[in-house]
Amino acid sequence: MKRRKAAVSGIADAPLDTRSQERARLDRIPSLAPDRLQTYDASADNVGRFLRLLGERITRPLAVSLTACVHCGLCADSCHYFLARPDDPTMTPVYKADQIRRIFKRHLDWTGRVVPWWVHAGSPQNDEDLNRLKNIVFGTCSACRRCTLNCPMGVDTGLLVRFTRGLLTEVGIVPEGVFNVSRDQWETGNQMAVTEEEYLETLQWMEDELRTEFGTPEVDIPVDRPDCDVLYTINPREVKFDPRSIANAARVFFVAGEKWTLPKWGWDQTNFGLFSGDDKLGAYVARNVYEAAERLRAKRIVISECGHGYRSTRWEGYNWAGYDQKVPTESVVVTLQRYLREGRIRVDPARNPDPVTFHDSCNIARSGDLVEEPRWVLRRVVTDFREMHPNRRENLCCTGGGGLLSMAEYRPLRLEVAKIKAEQLKATGAKLVCTMCHNCIDGLTDVIKHYKLEMKVVQVLDLVSNALVIPE
Amino acid sequence: MSKLLSALENEVQIGALLFMTVVYTLRLIWIFRFKSGRERTTAAGSEAAGISYSLMNVAMPWAMESTRKRPWFYAQFVIFHLGVVAAITTTFIIPYAPALFKVKVVVRLFQVIIGAACLVGLLRFIRRLRNPTLRLISTADDYLSLALMILFFAAGVLAVPNEYRKAEWPIAIFFGLTAFFLIYVPFSKICHYLYYPFSRYFLGRTLGHRGAMPPGMKGKRTCLPSSPDGGGSR
Repeated sequence: MKRRKAAVSGIADAPLDTRSQERARLDRIPSLAPDRLQTYDASADNVGRFLRLLGERITRPLAVSLTACVHCGLCADSCHYFLARPDDPTMTPVYKADQIRRIFKRHLDWTGRVVPWWVHAGSPQNDEDLNRLKNIVFGTCSACRRCTLNCPMGVDTGLLVRFTRGLLTEVGIVPEGVFNVSRDQWETGNQMAVTEEEYLETLQWMEDELRTEFGTPEVDIPVDRPDCDVLYTINPREVKFDPRSIANAARVFFVAGEKWTLPKWGWDQTNFGLFSGDDKLGAYVARNVYEAAERLRAKRIVISECGHGYRSTRWEGYNWAGYDQKVPTESVVVTLQRYLREGRIRVDPARNPDPVTFHDSCNIARSGDLVEEPRWVLRRVVTDFREMHPNRRENLCCTGGGGLLSMAEYRPLRLEVAKIKAEQLKATGAKLVCTMCHNCIDGLTDVIKHYKLEMKVVQVLDLVSNALVIPE
Repeated sequence: MSKLLSALENEVQIGALLFMTVVYTLRLIWIFRFKSGRERTTAAGSEAAGISYSLMNVAMPWAMESTRKRPWFYAQFVIFHLGVVAAITTTFIIPYAPALFKVKVVVRLFQVIIGAACLVGLLRFIRRLRNPTLRLISTADDYLSLALMILFFAAGVLAVPNEYRKAEWPIAIFFGLTAFFLIYVPFSKICHYLYYPFSRYFLGRTLGHRGAMPPGMKGKRTCLPSSPDGGGSR
């Protein structure tokens, strides 16, 4: 075996920046409450609180993942961080997971409690140690779970990273970006602080455009209409930066003759609780959506194209919120597939002649259930579909997952390790990379710009809308 | 046979086995003391199929990229664990069915398997020492566990012929190591086999419920009722 010289990234030493937290305290924002958003207090016993929460929150699956690792190192090559930095042993999933594992061993596992040095058990001594842990779990892992599926023991490192992030969130030792987005989602119900006025105005604007396009007032973007078949929930990014994706959905719903609505409150299907590890935030945001469906007596919740939004709203949110699922909850891609199957919409693939490849979102393919559905749709709306390799559940992260796009301090490392993704994209020879995730759009766009690839990122709905045959 | 060897093969082993059983029972109680959640979503797949697939993963090197791309690594894993099974079986054959080791083919078969496992153990030990990634994460327990396994296998190769009339020491070392293992294992990483069913169960249950495991099982809903052992990322 080739001997390799270690070259550690140094990211673990990034300082803790709490300026936004201090501003929030000065502004006395309402969400700063014991059962909501936490800020960093340098005079508090943060290590003690961290350890207390560790003992209180650990679940059986977590405990097993913390004890089952045999240090075989087989997970290393599944991680894009390690693939891009093979000389840096701190980039392996096992090393990252060991940072919380050693604390667990020291405080909860018997061998580590009696002879800590024997099993590398240890405890954080101060806030600097917690900050170092923060930089590892937030800055060197996108929680894509690729290592989880490649672990012979079934150790869920993605779950361990999220759990650790959640503990750090409780003591305010988090990247600035994580605090800011969490604050916005607590304060406004959506992670981009879109006001109700801005939201309704954007929907009105899109509705006006569609009416001009179709030449009829029958096409609309309804808000808070009760008793609909579909409650459509979206990503705030669509309101802020990509309103045409809402128009695309409205166009398809209109042609399909769907009875649908957007809710006035509870429209944000994204959930920063998934990234910050904060189950309370996760429960709050998810519950907003479920209660909107209940309030409007909607028969189905449809989630626009968003990886973590889909995972949060379809799978994790019900459990975080302690809310039994009452109505079917599906991705808009599944809705599109149904429309095509039932002949409710017709498409002309010749309108999408460019070669298209598909990027599977980690949260949808590995932590969710949608792998073949987007491919089924794409094969009907484009003329040249080609797979990237690896694909489906083995696909590599867009490198912006796990909330990393909001953490500016880790951007250089994120873009450095993105060379693996860039090579994967380039090898397809495609002009368009399609993904069903808004987070992946930004992640992939960053990769494409940084590595100067001649590609554009699109979503399934964009291609369907473009191929849509409007009936006379 | 000396009294010492007889005791090592019988009373000492039984005592050590009992100790291990007690510690494992405590360990299981410890695991079950951690709380678990309830699944509140409707299934898109089959939990039972996910659990089965996940548990069988160990026998499906094609199912994971990590083993699919490293057939030699997987072969080492198989050889090493076959050696473990053969060595453990030996600890029961020698005291309770010694006639089996009168058959030369059986003796040679066991020696080949255990010997191959010993070689694999050595390769893995060298890998752990040379690879910076593994060095960084390796604990004293990792090194000692592997070193002890290599010694155990080496002693096993010598003990299998069970020729105590010629020399008792190989058999005595083998059974001495076995007794030590039975006591040490519950506190070391070697007891990973105790956790394997749990970790694979939880992963299979969560991803099976979501239709993500096994591939192609989506839509076949056989959601298990909520059970006290919890599941997945809940």
